[in-house]
Amino acid sequence: MSGLGDVLQGAAQIAGAMGVTLKQLTKKPVTVEYPEEPIAVFPRYRGRHMLRKYDSGMERCIGCCLCEAACPTGAIFVDAAENDPANPHSPGERYAKTYEVNLLRCVFCGDCEEACPVEAIVLTQAIPMPEQNRRSFILTKEQLLEAPDSNIAIRPEA
Amino acid sequence: MPDLVTITIDDVEYQVPNGMLLTDAAKLADIDIPVFCSHPKLDPLGACRMCLVEQDVRGRWMIVTACTIRVAEGLKFRYASEAAVQAREDTLEFILINHPLDCPICDKGGECPLQDQTLKHGPGASEFQEIKTHKEKRYPISDLIMLDQERCIVCWRCIRYLEEWEDKPQLGLFNRGGETVIDFFPEQPVDAKTSGNIIDLCPVGALTNRVSRFRYRPWELKRTKSICTHCSQGCNVRLDARIHQLRRVVASENMAVNDEWICDKGRFMHAFVDAPERLTTPMIRDHKGGELREAGWDEALALTAQRLAFTADVQGPAAVGAIGSAKLSNEAAYLLQKLMRGLVGSNNVDHRGGAAVLADPRGLSNMRDVEQADVIVLAGVDPAEEQPVLATFIRRAVRRRGAKLVILHPRKIEDTRYPGAYASYTPGEETALFDSLSKALLKEKVVQERAAKLPGYAELADWLHSAAVGDPAAADAARLVLNAKRPLVLYGPAVVSGRNAAANRSSLMNFALLAGCAERTYYLAPEANSVGVRDMGLLPASLPGHALVGDLPARERLERLWGAKLPSDAGLACDEMLSAAAAGKLRALYLVGSDPASQGPAGMAALQKVDFLVVQDLFLTESAKLADVVLPAVSWAETDGSFTNLERRVQRAPKALANPHSQAAADWLIFTELAKVWPAVSGEAKTEASRKSKRKIGDAPRLWSYANAQAVLDEISRAVSMYDKLTWAALGDEGKQWPWELPKAEAGRPAGGALPTAPRRLVIPERRSASQVGADFPYTLATGRVLFDGGTLLRQTEVAGKVAAPVAVGINPADAAREKLAEGQMATVSSASGQLTLAIHLDEAVRPGTLWIPYSLPGAPVETLLTSASDGAGVRVRIASQKAG
Repeated sequence: MSGLGDVLQGAAQIAGAMGVTLKQLTKKPVTVEYPEEPIAVFPRYRGRHMLRKYDSGMERCIGCCLCEAACPTGAIFVDAAENDPANPHSPGERYAKTYEVNLLRCVFCGDCEEACPVEAIVLTQAIPMPEQNRRSFILTKEQLLEAPDSNIAIRPEA
Repeated sequence: MPDLVTITIDDVEYQVPNGMLLTDAAKLADIDIPVFCSHPKLDPLGACRMCLVEQDVRGRWMIVTACTIRVAEGLKFRYASEAAVQAREDTLEFILINHPLDCPICDKGGECPLQDQTLKHGPGASEFQEIKTHKEKRYPISDLIMLDQERCIVCWRCIRYLEEWEDKPQLGLFNRGGETVIDFFPEQPVDAKTSGNIIDLCPVGALTNRVSRFRYRPWELKRTKSICTHCSQGCNVRLDARIHQLRRVVASENMAVNDEWICDKGRFMHAFVDAPERLTTPMIRDHKGGELREAGWDEALALTAQRLAFTADVQGPAAVGAIGSAKLSNEAAYLLQKLMRGLVGSNNVDHRGGAAVLADPRGLSNMRDVEQADVIVLAGVDPAEEQPVLATFIRRAVRRRGAKLVILHPRKIEDTRYPGAYASYTPGEETALFDSLSKALLKEKVVQERAAKLPGYAELADWLHSAAVGDPAAADAARLVLNAKRPLVLYGPAVVSGRNAAANRSSLMNFALLAGCAERTYYLAPEANSVGVRDMGLLPASLPGHALVGDLPARERLERLWGAKLPSDAGLACDEMLSAAAAGKLRALYLVGSDPASQGPAGMAALQKVDFLVVQDLFLTESAKLADVVLPAVSWAETDGSFTNLERRVQRAPKALANPHSQAAADWLIFTELAKVWPAVSGEAKTEASRKSKRKIGDAPRLWSYANAQAVLDEISRAVSMYDKLTWAALGDEGKQWPWELPKAEAGRPAGGALPTAPRRLVIPERRSASQVGADFPYTLATGRVLFDGGTLLRQTEVAGKVAAPVAVGINPADAAREKLAEGQMATVSSASGQLTLAIHLDEAVRPGTLWIPYSLPGAPVETLLTSASDGAGVRVRIASQKAG
């Protein structure tokens, strides 16, 4: 192989690569300035958790701890208590006094949703936000009962 | 070896013991016939139909219930046949028709036989589409137990337990068919003392524990096999913990101790372990009259060691005392007395109910003796309140074996409902009754012949002949005991404490010797480790192993083991220490799990007088509020420890949980750390204090390094002869009774020596004269333990307030009429020592001429009325309605 051949071959490769770059310069960027701009997710995207309520405003969660048992990473902690019959949190006798999800441990597998007998815990499409400290990644029951505020757009499912 | 018979199950022949229930026999053949109503501890019933199998009856295959069939030679069964499988599947489907599917919120879910068997034997789907019947879902049958009637599958286990073991048929079946419900009788909620066992027995989640309700799921609990420390029975329990909290206590089987039952105190009253009021950090009071402030362990221990050593150096070791508790583990009790004897150099070490009680170290021979006795004498003891599980064994003996009860008690206790004899006595006058019994026995020819050989017989016979005793109830009682084949005499601490303790004991032993059952006369210790702390030498006059402090060889042996010089003079007993403190002679006091300040103004005054008070406890008790140093200890569930029950069985209580936010430490660790800082301050104390100090600088405590509680038990097994070889590993899950009969393989020498023998001599009881008799105080105080009192440990459980004994004074209606007192009225009870204000409770069970006030009533300590705690029996009191304003 001659030296000249190598040089020419290299120049051709560089030109080809630069061609790709130059072609992209004319296109709109794919980066989304989330959360200022909405991000598109698929309908079955599994994002941040939420505890649903009934229309009456009563919590669905009955504190049965099955989500906790199903969780493969031990990200969920539930501590149940007895409802005050005069002022119940949930239908029936039992409710979750404490419900915590540790987002640092969660792998968003959705097993908790599967395990829940009352469809209380669900994974929304919201994308969990970064936090400044580890404690803030533990979602409390109050946070979970609120619908997450998230700038998303649902993509059509191809 | 029981005789074996051959039965056939599914065409395979098996050899099984004759007469066994088919369900049990099948288990031997590894065939697990599903059951709901059948339970090994309850009589067969055949109510649930879950165990259906086919039996060959004269050539025809018939469906039968396996749980009621006793096997016999040649019987043929089919378990796996199509018809049998179909029958069981149909039964399960039928049971599930009305069973709500609320497993997610059911406390039983996860450990539910109905769930398990539905998965194993049930049909995949139900054909039933109609609406399920609705019944009461949240229906309390007592303050402790919740019933969900919808979940009930009507197996009768709860009904049968209450009938067969408690002999209190408080639950019944009401209505018919699908409407059948379990219910209590109107206005009579369940109040049996061991009612919680029906929760464990329930094969579904119909009966649930109201204290633990919804506080756990079975799969997330950390389970630790342990023992209960509420009384001396030492029932085996399982402690279920979650997130460092004791969430539930359930019974654990130990056939030698508690069968598989525990009482409601043990099951429900455990909130004290997790109570937010628990002490979590050491506290120091910088100067008298100042406030307690939080401190570090180093500071608190250094101060404690310095001040104790200082007082011992300057005022002499006799100016330092320690009061422990019969609830301490063997390890804690052993180290406390080692600290006092070895480092302080004082024998002033005792516990409440210690030196004041003439306890017999033999304890009960064996729990099983109770079930096999044909006459049981209960002298001054009420097992139904003091050892409720033992009481179920006694009732079992009465109901199953026709045993008779001879009850000698100042109160007409619950078990007097059984056939036998009842004789009451005035507390303090026990000998009058026991001597009457002996006198009645002496009239029998057989006794005269047999007992004539006993030393002291002639003297006693003469004395009794002339003695002016003759309780009319005694003759029947004496004859019952005399004619018994396996009599058993059980007496409690009330009989062997007080001014006439020695006389009472000899009087009772005379009766036992004359009746020929001295070898079967046993002392029932009251507290969890009453026996153990005595074995450990937490007494002013005895070293570990019951050797007297004056016993030179025993002392030298321990001196070699501990590397310290031991004092030889007997120390002060619990009450003597408090009087010495009040008199200014005892200057430093170390209280471990003991709270004299809550026991009336006398104790409070004594503690205020001492220069230096250390309190080591779980809570900021009344005594701790007066302390100069408060050391936070942990409960039995939070450290390893061993406890010796009323039949001398040493059992393990391993650590089940720990509060990570608390600095509280185990008793054994506190003592060990205290000993470690001892030599350093001993020198300091000397320079600071005075030239009078006799202690040498560098008088280092040797052999005070224990890696863990088990290492302490290792040393105990060397120091206490009866505990020879009883190490943590040797105790095992079932515990070991001392003296331990070693397995054949290692039986080179006997471990622990022989059991002390019963007295063999008749002694004329010498009573001390009664004091305080007079018109001023016309009544005698009767006191004793009740299961649900208002003690520090019970108060923490919310529900305890509802089941606790009423804060009231019991008075016989005849006496009340004479004093013009009515039920519920407030009255003042006073003795020479103090007075209490209590509500009046009219009670036929109270002997006329006596007033009944149990121990540890919240806000009304009966100790206020006692001249000293050792003088519990026979205090004279008067009662008057409280004046308005």
